[in-house]
Parts: sequence; C-alpha cells; structure tokens
Amino acid sequence: MSVHLLGVRHHGPGSSRHVLNALAEIQPDIVLIEGPPEGEAMLSWATHADMQPPVALLAYVPDNPQQAVFYPFTVHSPEWNSILYALRNQIPVRFIDMPLAHGFAMEWQETSLNSKKSELTEHVRKNPISYLAEIAGFDDPEEWWEHRFEIVQQPYEVFEAIAESMTALRQTLPADDRREEIREAFMRKSIRIAQKEGFERIAVICGAWHVPALAHLPKQREDDALLKNLPKTKVESTWIPWTNDRMAFESGYGAGVESPGWYMHHWKHPDDHGTLWLSHTAHVFRENHVDISSAHIIEAVRLAGALAGLRNLSRPGLKELNEATVAVMCMGEPVLMKVIYRELIVGKAFGQIPEGTPQVPLQRDLEMLAKRFRIKVVPEQKTLKLDLREENDLQKSILLHRLQLLDINWGTMETVSGKGTFKEEWTLRWYPELTIKLLEKAPWGNTIEEAATKYLKSTAGKCARLDEITPLVQNAIPADLPVALGAVMQKMDELAATTSDISMLMDAFAPLAQVSRYGNVRKTDRESIDLIVTTIFYRIIAGLPAGCTGIDDEQAAVMTDKIKDVNQAILMLEKQDLTEGWTTTLETIFHSDRSAPFIQGYCCKALYDNRLLDMDSTFNAFSKALSLNNEPSASANWLEGFLNDAATVLILDDVIWGVVNDWLLSLNDETFLQVVPLLRRTFANFSNVEKRKIAGRAKQGQSGKLIPQIIDIDPQRAAQVFPILELLMAIK
Amino acid sequence: MSQNILRQTAEAQFAQEIEEIKKQDKHARPENWLLSPHAVVTYLMGGKLANGFHVSPKYIGNRRLMEIAVATLTTDRALLLYGLPGTAKSWVSEHISAAISEDSGLVIQGTAGTSEESVRYGWNYAQLLSAGPVPEAIVETPVMRGMKEGKIVRVEELTRIGSDVQDSLITILSEKMLPIPELNTKVMAVRGFNIIATANNRDKGVNDLSSALKRRFNTVILPVPETVEEEVEIVQQRVASFSKSIDLAIEKPILEEISRVVTVFRELRSGVSADGKTKLKSPSGTLSTAEAISVMNSGLSLAYHFGDASLKADDLASGLIGAIIKDPIQDKIVFQEYMETVLKQRDGWKDIYRACREII
Repeated sequence: MSVHLLGVRHHGPGSSRHVLNALAEIQPDIVLIEGPPEGEAMLSWATHADMQPPVALLAYVPDNPQQAVFYPFTVHSPEWNSILYALRNQIPVRFIDMPLAHGFAMEWQETSLNSKKSELTEHVRKNPISYLAEIAGFDDPEEWWEHRFEIVQQPYEVFEAIAESMTALRQTLPADDRREEIREAFMRKSIRIAQKEGFERIAVICGAWHVPALAHLPKQREDDALLKNLPKTKVESTWIPWTNDRMAFESGYGAGVESPGWYMHHWKHPDDHGTLWLSHTAHVFRENHVDISSAHIIEAVRLAGALAGLRNLSRPGLKELNEATVAVMCMGEPVLMKVIYRELIVGKAFGQIPEGTPQVPLQRDLEMLAKRFRIKVVPEQKTLKLDLREENDLQKSILLHRLQLLDINWGTMETVSGKGTFKEEWTLRWYPELTIKLLEKAPWGNTIEEAATKYLKSTAGKCARLDEITPLVQNAIPADLPVALGAVMQKMDELAATTSDISMLMDAFAPLAQVSRYGNVRKTDRESIDLIVTTIFYRIIAGLPAGCTGIDDEQAAVMTDKIKDVNQAILMLEKQDLTEGWTTTLETIFHSDRSAPFIQGYCCKALYDNRLLDMDSTFNAFSKALSLNNEPSASANWLEGFLNDAATVLILDDVIWGVVNDWLLSLNDETFLQVVPLLRRTFANFSNVEKRKIAGRAKQGQSGKLIPQIIDIDPQRAAQVFPILELLMAIK
Repeated sequence: MSQNILRQTAEAQFAQEIEEIKKQDKHARPENWLLSPHAVVTYLMGGKLANGFHVSPKYIGNRRLMEIAVATLTTDRALLLYGLPGTAKSWVSEHISAAISEDSGLVIQGTAGTSEESVRYGWNYAQLLSAGPVPEAIVETPVMRGMKEGKIVRVEELTRIGSDVQDSLITILSEKMLPIPELNTKVMAVRGFNIIATANNRDKGVNDLSSALKRRFNTVILPVPETVEEEVEIVQQRVASFSKSIDLAIEKPILEEISRVVTVFRELRSGVSADGKTKLKSPSGTLSTAEAISVMNSGLSLAYHFGDASLKADDLASGLIGAIIKDPIQDKIVFQEYMETVLKQRDGWKDIYRACREII
C-alpha cells in the first residue's frame, strides 16, 4: 500500500505533464484531488464530449449565492488532467479538501500576528513556488519551474524534490492559520479513509504547499479533535463556462496565472522553441494592420534564441519571446505589445459546458430562451440590432429588459442613430459573475418572467420616494410585465399623494402619460393608470403657479424643462379636460407678475403655439416684457425663455419672426444698444447653422415684415384636390 | 603621452577590466569577439568576477535591455539604440564596441551633410588621376574597415543622415558585402562585423528610416532613469570619473548636491513637483541625465578654480540655469515660476533659490 503525494503548481503546464507522467508510472487505483467534496458529483461531466475548458466548478450557498467559490480548470491544469485520467481509466476520483459546507459556514478569525511576519507568510503561502523562484533569482516562477523541473527525466523524483523544498519552507515559517490546519486535517482524513477501504496505490494531487502536511499522518484522534463541531451550511455546485482572462482571477485555490494563453500554447506545443508562437504573434499583428514579414519572424526567433543562450536557459521563455518581439517587430515600442497580451498571452478562449448539466431552474429558463432566440450566452462582445416591429425581436428586447430589471446586465442598450423608436441596439457580453447574479435571483422564481415580476414588485414596495419609483416605471414598460407594473402604479399613487415636491410629480408625469398613451399596457388595467395620471396632473397644476415664483435663474431653467415635458405629454394625451386645465395654468403663470421671467417667456411661447394667444397679444407681451423700464436681467431671461430652443421656429414661423423683427425695428438707436447684450445672450445658445440662417433671413430685409398673404384660390380647382388630400391624411 | 589625452577611449580607460573579464570568461565567444556575450553584459552592468575583481557598471538601469542589445549583435541584425538625447545611447554603443571589438573608434557621425562617400568609400583623387581606378586609390571608411576586420561599426545619429545615404546601408546590412563597381570587386564582411546605430526620439521626423532599413535593425529604446536613486547614481559615477580625469581635488561629499540637481531636473521634466502636489510647466530642453552630469561638472570646475574648492549653490546655479533656459523668453518664465513655487518653499533650499535669483 502506498500513498503518492504529487505537489503541483495550480494551472502549471509543467506540473500537468509531470503529474500525467507520474500517474502513468504509479498506476494508481484511486486519485485524490484537492477540491471541494461537494463537487464530486459533477466530476462525471468532465469527460463529456461537449465539455470544453476553460470551465469552472461553481460552488455556492443556495440561500445566498453571493457566497460562492469558483474552481477554474483549463486544459493545462494538473487537477483537470488528473480527473480526466481517473475517469478514462475508470478508477475512483475524490475531492479531499475541506467541504465547503463548513468553509462557508465558518466565520474565520483573522490571524493577527505581527504584520511583517504574516506578510511574508502570506506571500510564501500564496505561491510558494514563486518564493523559491525569487530565491533562485527568477522573477517568473513558471520560468523557474520550467527550467528547474522540466528537464528532470524521472517525474516521480520531481515531486520528491518539491516535497523537500516545501518541507524546508514550512519548517521556517510557523503555521498560524487554523483554516489551513483544518483543511489539511480533512485531506488527511480522506487519505486514511482511502487506506482503510483497501486501495493499494493512492495518488494525491494537491498544491505543493500541502505536501509536507500530508506526508506524515498524525494520530487520527488529533485530526478528529480539529474537525469536531464545525458549523455547516447547504452547498450546491455546478459547472459554468470560464474565460481565459479570468484564469488570473484568484478564487478557490487562491492562485491564478497571469498568462493562460501562453501556458495553453506551451501545453499544446511543448516542443515549440518560439517559431510557432512568434508566427502567431505576427499573425495577430497583421490582423491589426501592423506590417510584419516572415523575415521579422525569423529574426525574432533568432534573437529570442540568442537571449536564451545569454541567460543560460535551455530555451526561450515568454520573456525572451516578448523582448524579441518588441525589439524586432515593434521598433522597440512596447505599446504595440498590448494587443499581443490581450490576444495571445492571455488569450480569448472561453469554455463551454455540455447541455443538461445540472442547473437551477432560472438558469435553465434563460438558456432555453437564449436558444429559442438564437443568442449565444458567451463572454464575447456582440452587437444585437432589434426591430421592435417584429415579434421575435420584440421578445428578445423584452428578455433583455427583464434581465436588466434583475440587475443582470448581459446587454447594455446603445443609443441608436436614426429616427423612430422601434429600433434598439444592444451590446451583449456575458461575464461569469453574471451567473452568480442569476443564481442570486433564483429564489425569486423559476422563469425569468416570474422572477422579474416578483423582484420588481418587491423593489417597488421598498421605494419611499416618488423619484425612486419613476425610473422603475420607465424600465418596467419595455420589460412587458403587466402584473408588476400594476403593483408599481399602485405604489406610485400612494407616494404621489404624500409628495409635495412639485418637480418630482412632474418627473413622474411624463413616463406615466407614455404608459397611458401607448399600447404597451394592453394587459394593464388602463383605467387605474388613467386615474393615477389624472390625480397626479391635478396635483401638478395646483402647485405649479406657486412653484414658479421666487426661484433663481438656474432653477427656472430646470423648471422650464419640466414644464416642457409635461406640455409634450399633455399634447400627446389629447384629453380635453387635461388640456384645458393645463392652458389655464400656463395662462396663470404667464399673467402672474411674480413668476420667474424665464418661465413666463416660455409660457408665452407655449400659449402662442397652442393658438391661445394671437399675434397682437404676443407682440404686446413681447414689448411689455422687453420694455426698457424692466430689469435688464429679467428681460433677458424672458427672451431666453421665449426663444429657448426655438431657432427653427424663428426661422420658419412668419408670425414669430414678424413679432421679433417688428419689435427690433421699433427700437430707437439708444434703446437698441441697451438691449443688444440681452439679445446676444439668447442667440449665443443657437448653433452656427441656425445663426447663419437667421442672419440670412434678416438680410432679406423687408420680407420680415408681416405681409398679409392674399392667395387667390380657385374653389373649384381646390375641390378637386380634396378627396386625395383627405385620403392621404386619413381624415376619412 | 596617454597622460595628456583629454578623454580616453572606453577600451583604454577600462583596459584592465576588459583584461580581467577576459581571463575569467568561460563562455563560448562568437568569432572575432573579444569577449563572450555573457561577459559583455557583465562588462556593461558591472559586478564581481569569480576572482573577486570588481567591474564598474557602465550602464545603470535595466539589465534586460543590455541583454537584448548584446544578443542582437550575435544575430545578423544590426542594433538601433533609440531614446531621448542624453539617455546614454552613444555611451552604451561605445562600450559595447569596446567590449566586443576592443575598438570603439570606427564611428560615423551622422549629420545632414554625411555623404555616401563617408559611408561606403571615397577616392583619393590624386591617385585616381595618376593611376586610374586602382584599389590603392580607395579611401576606406570606418564601415569598410569594420567589414574587413570583423569589427563593430558605430553610426551616431542615424536619422540625421539623408534618406538616400541611409539606404546605402541596406546592402551592407543584409548581404554583408560592399560592392565596388568601379573595380569590379567587392568587400565581403568578416564575421564579427555589425553596426550599432543611435538615433533620438525627438528628431524622429528629421529623416525617418525607410521601412526596408528599419527591418535590418533590432530596436532597443533606452528610457530615462526610472527613479531618483538611479539617476543620482549615474550622475555621481560620471562626476567622480570627471574629477579624477581632470584632477579636481574636491573633498566635500557632493552626493547631496547631485541629488538636488537631479531632483530639479526630474521635477521640470515630469511637470510635477517631487511630492506630487505642484503642477509645473516643462521647459523646451530635454533635461537629460547627461545634462545633469555636465551641470555638476561645470559646478565642480567653478568651485575648484574660482571658489574655495567646496561645491556651493552659487557654483551650480549658473550651470543649472544654462541647462534649463534654452529659450530666453519661454523657458525663463517656466524657471521663474518653478523658483517661486517650488525652490523658495522647500526647506534647506534657500541657498539655491538665492543663487538662481541673483543670476536671473
């Protein structure tokens, strides 16, 4: 009976090769691996044809999925290769680390030693091999590992050497971490169990650091004492696809790798002395429009070889290759290496897991939907253009909106250029973290729709202010969640009743009006929404005139924007009583001397637009507001409010043009000079094109003057046009 | 005679070091190399030999850069040292050729007027007229000599040479031969021949290398020193060798003054004060380490010849101002601002502030 301890560097391709060689030599009848026992059930999936590393074993607490650990595996992970070896040779494979059931449950006490010592300990424990490499004078542990252990022919001896160096390290560094002790006790326990079960050749694959602790089994009693009364919690696990750029992510083992792409290359082509790698490099450069010839590759291979020789290395490592690339291909400029780093050294590989891997229902629902819509849930960036007039695209948009409500930001919406609201553009990118967020939302329901509905309801229930709930309405509409929307509306009504802040009410009004107007609410109880819209509206008009007095210029501008929004919404709603109420309010503000001039100006314009103020009254109001006895600043504000964003109106509307033009012409020179600064201020906001057009129109001189248009219409001929016109305008 | 030489060549100045390294050198030497690549790097970076002999560092900075430079010369590509003025490009190229060929004298100084004759070969016209085109009438250039003898040739300021002349290097570098059509013959390069060119970043636009020529060079960019400590070390070393070579007997430890000059240079170069609190304008000059060295050297001379042989702020001020104010209007404003916002406030720097104040 023998126990073979194979200490590895996690994700090290060198380790992987050694482990495989050692396993072939040992011919074990059981393989024990440092990993959470909860994941054992999932191991059988590893040999599935559709399983493509990098993948990660995700273990989480179902009640609190934020408590989760990833155990990433990639093709060159020693653990992964050991699992495959065991499964292919049909021998049992077990995970022997501390069960996460305890790991998650325990509140681990921070070891508070004097900081300097524990910093060193921390450093060494994190990556003992890098510590040894540092002593040996290498800055890259993998480089040291490769050069030190790769050449050894007997793989088993390598592990003896590792065990020895780790023992030496651990003897000098005091053990002070209870968690580590417990973990190792668990590992020993599993080894004992395997021994008792009568396995003859036991292979243990664990981080090099643990080897010394497993080499000598202490009395069972001691370990049992350590393992007594550990708290427990429920843990579930699943496979999730992983990405290369996340291999560096420290999780599970607490050790990541910085250059997974390079390791992968190294694993696939152990004999490559740089030729293949540099050819890939050249390829990537060419794809990025950097001209690289074959001669460059030849020279780079030579330089890398020469560098390796100079440094007494048996072959060029990543550093030599990178330096050769910079010197030969990049004119010494390291900036270009960024693309190589992203594309090759880290690599863009992402894994895939077989269909049918155990998942929570919510995950499965998302996968099903994604499949139905033919969108791949992959960590690559992808743009999705949707035309909401098509049912399929509309459904996709609804799904993405629902996910956003659940805080799963798989897609981000881009602003679409072009007219029309029926187009949406999304940028999709899945991150492994999103899986956690998805698991987090699993308790809310078994389908995305159900979960989103319940989650939205609960979020709305927690809102305490009107401005918190308004954005929810906006997000809920495109997510097509009628039930939840009803709940949100109800809450909104409650909040509106207690709100005295007029601007908050106005913010809420516009989105509500949208819900009321457009068909999104086909399943919503429309009457109740209308009721809310009406009540909020009357609350607004009750408070608005007072809200427009005694405010400074800045607030007045903000307020004007809001009045504008409400004005738009009222026009859109086309409801007689609301429109009347609104115009009365505008008139009140317009006539009240105490209203802020900016708002007054705007109201004047709005009333004119709604044809409630004729030309003469507008002209009178204009000259009254701009008469010289007024405060200059008030006049300026009034004018700004009136012409706010109205350059087009000024250019196209003869009446407004006439009013402004007539007023300007009526000024004598002295007065004109005094109002010039005010005008400047207003016109400064217009764009250059607009200013040029206005100037062009002014240049035409007299044409500005209002000339009553007398058009000679022949009633008989006009009558002929009417039927077609009516048809075109859909009047009949 | 050698006593009177103003500045010894690298191979003469460090002859003993080269000799000792050669004795200890156990690595394989490329043909016609004096030392193995290993030993060349050791010579450049300094260190202790197996027999305890101390080799002084010639280049202070990243060892990897020197390794790339030396490794390049073992391949059949030439080496291009790129960097700001004063980042030790020429210094490195001189020492590399000294260590490899024991001859740093094969130099072509690139200027706008460098002609093809000074790169390839020229004619002794008297000979040419009397004897016609015969081999004896040819005037060899450093390149031709380097090819014949298998030595490293240095081309300084490659980018200042006109593009047409630059391109005459292409055949030499790729085919390692120099045709002489007039004699219907050619010079074939002997192993050991290679070229080290230097060029600076700032003049990039002057005569940018053609891509054909670029491809014949491996490029190593020499950066400005990373830390104050590194820069102080460089200045100190060079200043010490200066006072040795012109017999200045300055007793007082000058390390503190060096670090002050280096600090001023670094602050102005990076546009922010050393504590990171004050934003500064940068003057038009490069303010390289080489200039810091010359400020120290001129300060030392002033102190020795006109002062009491101890280095004072007054001795440094004029050199400092001379190095910083290259443009009499713009740079003056920059430096005045710097004086008022940084120098004046700093504890213990009053003497430098006052000294600069008097001159400006």
